[in-house]
Formats: sequence, C-alpha cells, structure tokens
Amino acid sequence: MSTAMVWGVGTSDYGLFPERRVESLAWEAVAEAVRDAGITPGEIDAIVVGSVFGPPGVATRVQRGLGIPGVPVWTVENACASSTSAFHEAVEAVRFGRFGCVLVLGVDQMSTLFSGAIVPEATDPEGASSLPLPGLYALAAQRYVGEFGVTPEQLAAVAVKNKRNGLDNPRAQLRTSAPTTEEVLASRMIAEPLTMLQCCPTSDGAGAAIVGGDRGNRDDLLVEASAMVSGALWDHRSDDVWGYASVARAAEKAFAQAGRPPSEIDVMEVHDAFTIGEILTLEALGIAPRGKGAELAPAGHTTRDGAQPVNPSGGLLSRGHPLGATGTAQIAEVVWQLRGRAGPRQVARHGVGLVETMGGGAAGMDGNACVVTILSTQP
Amino acid sequence: MTSELGVGRPTKRRPGAAVGGLPVADSRPVLDRSDDGGDAVLGVRCTACRYPAAQTGIPWCPACYAPVAPERFAVTGTAWSSTVVAIRVGQRRPPFGLAYLDLDDGPRVLVHLAEPAVVPIGTRLRITGTDDGDLVASA
Ligand SMILES: [Zn+2]
Repeated sequence: MSTAMVWGVGTSDYGLFPERRVESLAWEAVAEAVRDAGITPGEIDAIVVGSVFGPPGVATRVQRGLGIPGVPVWTVENACASSTSAFHEAVEAVRFGRFGCVLVLGVDQMSTLFSGAIVPEATDPEGASSLPLPGLYALAAQRYVGEFGVTPEQLAAVAVKNKRNGLDNPRAQLRTSAPTTEEVLASRMIAEPLTMLQCCPTSDGAGAAIVGGDRGNRDDLLVEASAMVSGALWDHRSDDVWGYASVARAAEKAFAQAGRPPSEIDVMEVHDAFTIGEILTLEALGIAPRGKGAELAPAGHTTRDGAQPVNPSGGLLSRGHPLGATGTAQIAEVVWQLRGRAGPRQVARHGVGLVETMGGGAAGMDGNACVVTILSTQP
Repeated sequence: MTSELGVGRPTKRRPGAAVGGLPVADSRPVLDRSDDGGDAVLGVRCTACRYPAAQTGIPWCPACYAPVAPERFAVTGTAWSSTVVAIRVGQRRPPFGLAYLDLDDGPRVLVHLAEPAVVPIGTRLRITGTDDGDLVASA
C-alpha cells in the first residue's frame, strides 16, 4: 500500500451568502487548493464531493467550471462528516493505487434552504417529534450534567475559547467578539443547558483538498491515519451519550493506524457544533478520561497556547457549519497549522495534527458516520 | 437578517406537513390506547435475544439477525435525559420538554414532557397519551 499525502488545501469564506451560486463557493475553494498544491487541474484523476443539501448533481455542476472532463466523480453524504468521508475515500484510493491525484471538495449553501434553525428530518421519528439538533446535544449535555456534575461554566468555557480563537480567523463567520463566560451563559436559551453562544451558526461555504502520493515535496502532509466508521445502534442498552461511541470507534482505528497515543497529538480540529460536542469528542478521542473532558478548556489544556490546542481556527462555533464543507475546512486548518503558516492562530508545537468530524441525527443510531484523520509533517 | 433568508422559497428539504410541506409517512412510535387501561407502545421484539424496537417493518433483529415478532411495551420507564427546547421547531412552539425514556423492558423512545421542565435522570415517567402523534409522558 502506498503513502497518501495532502498536497494542498483551500477554502471559501464562511458565512451567509444567499446571493451567490453554490458552485462559486466550490470554485473558490478548489482554485486555492489547486494553486496550493502546485498542480494544473488536468492532473486531477478523480473528484470526490461531500455535500448534504446538494443541489442534486452538485459535483457535476461544480465540475462544469473546472475543465476536468471525464474523470470518475462521486458524491458522499454522511451528514456533518460528508467531506471528511470524501477525504477518506480519496486517501484510500491513493493508498491502493487507484488514482494518483484526487480532488476532495466539501460544499453546502444552507442560507437558501433554511431560515433560522434547521428543520429536523421529518421522515425520522425524532425529527417528526420536533427534536432539533441542539436538542439532541442538550439531552447529551443534561445526561452529562447529571452523571458527572459538569457545570454551566465548564460548558461555556468551550465557547469562550473557540470564539476567542475565531477572532483571528479571517474566514470565520462569527469574529466580532470574544464573549465572557457570563455572556455565553446569559445569551438566549436554545435547549437547556445550551445557550445561543454555545451553538454553531448555519453557514454557507466550501473547502477543498488535493490528495496524492509521495512526490517528495516538503510542504506535503503525510496522512498517518484516516478512519471512517458508520453508526451503530444507540438504544436502551447504551450508557454512552449519543455520538460518543461512534467517535471512540473511529479514534481507536485512527490511533492504531498511526501507531500513536492521543498524547502525541499537537493540534486538533474537532466537531464542536455545540459546546458539549467538543467535550464529549475529546473524551472519546482519549484526550481526557470519561467525565473529565469538561475540565480541559477551563484548565487551559486546549487553548491555543495550551498543551494540546483544540480548534485554533475557532471551530464550528466561530467558523460556522456548512455541513458538507466542515470536514474540509477542518483539514485545511490543520494543514495550515502543521506547515506553520496559520498566522496569528499559529500554535507552538505543530508536528502532528488530528481532524475529527462526527455527523449524525438519524434516530436510534450513535451517529451517521465519524471520520478521524491524523496528519503529520514529514520527518 | 437570517429570518429573511429563504422566505418565500419552497426549498426546505423534506420538511413534512408540520412545517408546511407535503406529508411524509409517520415513523414515530405508536401508542395503543385500550379501554381497560392496558395501554402499550407498539413495536417488535427479537424472538431470540429479546431486543426491543419501536420501529416496525424492520427485516430482522438488528442486534442478532433473528426474526422479530410484534410486541406491546409498557408505557412506564425511567428518564435517561431530558431538556427544555426554547426555540420554535416546525409547528412546535417553545418552551417544550423532551426526554429520552427507557421503557420498562422496552426500547428507548423520545417523548414530550407534559410539563416543560428538566426532570432528574432516572425519574419514573408514564406515557399518558399523544399530542399530534408525539408521545407525551409525565412523572
Ligand atoms: Zn436479536
């Protein structure tokens, strides 16, 4: 099996762009990634697109402007993990020698689909019963509050950290203020105990990555691990909160593949759609023991100058969450960090980076899919 | 600003009748009201490992692949977690309480709480009826 590397990354800005064509967001990200990789579009052998809300045929509509005719193209929908799933497919394809250079694209334009909160999927029992995604995370948070005594201040600390980080991210949707703990807790209640400032905004945006083999370029990042899992039953037999087990399954595979313990990760971009999400994810990744994840942000462990910075970009809480584009946005940030070119967001130690994206919402499953990727600079 | 986006555009994806779209098949657990007080949540149970599910029409037991048979589950159980939603969701106006309820010897089901308040984990709840098809429980 050969080595897979990330040759280049690119993103659009993240925000509300209802006046833009959805393809234009994608073209912006792809153009940057192609420039970053130092290739011509003609070198791309295949295209994998992650998108949740389409439109149907979004890959081809994007391809129309790229001049990359006839190559294999496919679209992946795995909720929030759509474009990291696409990335995973590209990595596997390169590792197995199927393609030499694959374009990964994540794109979604949500502002033209929803006004306000996302309407839950009506075909699903939970969606039909009006359970919004923040409500699902709130149920996890309440379980954690009851089990481990997680405090409102500990939850809020995640938002304070990530929104402060987001101030230095020129592409983030929310970068106007770094709220205090008190302001986070005083913001409008969405679903107890999650307040408005603990919820990511819905967004429009795109991200892209070029994945290929080892071409001897020092700027390319080694894909040490890429693990994808789908959901398993989440039911009365489970003591885990929703989503935890799927992240743990993917993490276990990824760390085994990389041959590293969680303590060796220098910088992470993880799925913080809601504050409790970052806490649960870090426990499932093994960064903190179960029940102790809420202590990481208040203790400074995960701040940008901490031992293991988490979401130096500001995360979904600042960047916004265009579902299908989130994974590629996370990969782009970790690539910039590992190259040491993240500007004011740059973390001190940047040899090994991790990206985690968990997408879910289907009732009775512990997630739709989770992807954990570990990248490193070359020795 | 966000409230104006998407207004007048019939673009919401599979919203269902609850938010003004076309109806979709109802996948929620069914409560069977009985005159003699023997209310039950309808579902299926595995004939081998006894795994309970509120979803009907599944091809086999998702835990062990053995055949499933129709089952009536108790309407009582314990609260696994609960929350109060403070935003409007579809036609549901806030505040409304939601809980995951582990039915006694049955599956975990999402219920609306008769009183919109967070209840402690482990609180005994009873499903007392439905509201527009949603299961409603109270302590
Ligand atoms: Zn069974």
